[in-house]
Amino acid sequence: MKEVPAKVEHNKAWVVIKLGIAEDRIVLPDPVNQEILYKTVVDLAERKNTLIITFKTQAEGVVKVKSVDKVLEILKKLILNSCNAYRLAAYFKSPAIRGGVLIQGAPWEKGSIVVVRTGIWFVSPAKQVCVPLMDAAAIELTKTEVQGKPTDIICIDHVDAGEVVSSQVLCPISTLQVLFNFLKDATKGMDMKGNELDAVGQQVAMLVYSGMDSHAIENMLNIPHKELDAIYDRILNLQLGEVVAVRREIQLTTKGVRYISDATKSQVK
Amino acid sequence: MGKILIVDDTLFMRTLLKNILFSGGHTIIGEAGDGTEAVEKYKELKPDLVTMDVVMPKMNGIEALKSIKALDPAARVVMCTAVGQEQMVKLAIKTGAKGYIVKPFQAPKVLEEVKNVLAT
Repeated sequence: MKEVPAKVEHNKAWVVIKLGIAEDRIVLPDPVNQEILYKTVVDLAERKNTLIITFKTQAEGVVKVKSVDKVLEILKKLILNSCNAYRLAAYFKSPAIRGGVLIQGAPWEKGSIVVVRTGIWFVSPAKQVCVPLMDAAAIELTKTEVQGKPTDIICIDHVDAGEVVSSQVLCPISTLQVLFNFLKDATKGMDMKGNELDAVGQQVAMLVYSGMDSHAIENMLNIPHKELDAIYDRILNLQLGEVVAVRREIQLTTKGVRYISDATKSQVK
Repeated sequence: MGKILIVDDTLFMRTLLKNILFSGGHTIIGEAGDGTEAVEKYKELKPDLVTMDVVMPKMNGIEALKSIKALDPAARVVMCTAVGQEQMVKLAIKTGAKGYIVKPFQAPKVLEEVKNVLAT
């Protein structure tokens, strides 16, 4: 067993420990005192340089580990190879498209797809990429050209740092169909009918995505402030957007009017 | 900064692009709602750059691109595609498009692509 320095969240504080990494488990010494067998891991997520490991023995537990990239990479590989998840061998491209731009020369990597409770992992000797299911924007069976031939693939679009990123999975069609059904089932809670917003609401959402602020949207769609507010409320209620800033409109009081009048007079003098 | 012809069959998309391009300091010298109109406007206005929707009535964007390239092999045409239309993008690039932008539009990406294509 190798020991590496890491930080682990314990009683809502980060503590520095010597994390033990074995072939079949990790060992978290004092003060955490915990051993986690990889085969008991039911979910693995990554946020920046933190791994969130959910395991289930008699009860379910969560461990958060921070360490250097190299250590996290080893941990991810070991856990994803043995954890309790849907797993299949496949070729993948991740990312294949970022922000609508084809990644030039992105290779098909041989590896595996591991679907855990909250995400899809693309794992190869060189790469471990996680697509959180809650960030998956679309999952579809489609065709792309591979070695000059149209070939069935699964295309997974997800949102990363405000951009739509597409990853592609290639494997035998029977397996592809099973994976597709599994992914559709795992993400069905996020599917929408498409008619939750009316035409103007959809245009507002598109303009927000394009980077327009409220003032520009009101001008472009020629809608009053109150109507835009009501559309924003619908977008927020549907969890399609979040408030990032609240701007205020003010008018001057009598004191304020006197102040700017005086200021103007003094400028004239 | 360039003189730009916007081609799209939806008024909303044309207005959106117009706003984005105007905010980047470009001049919109014309708009067209289908491929046939785009070719006519290109002859008439000689823009520095055309933003061309792919799916349009009468004449689609690829056909319009071919006609414009036949008129002016140096024409700068940027295709507007939807996410997932990568085959269409490849076909457009083969046909002579200088670049592409993806719907829904993100202003910085549109301006960056237009700037890159105008520099060619």
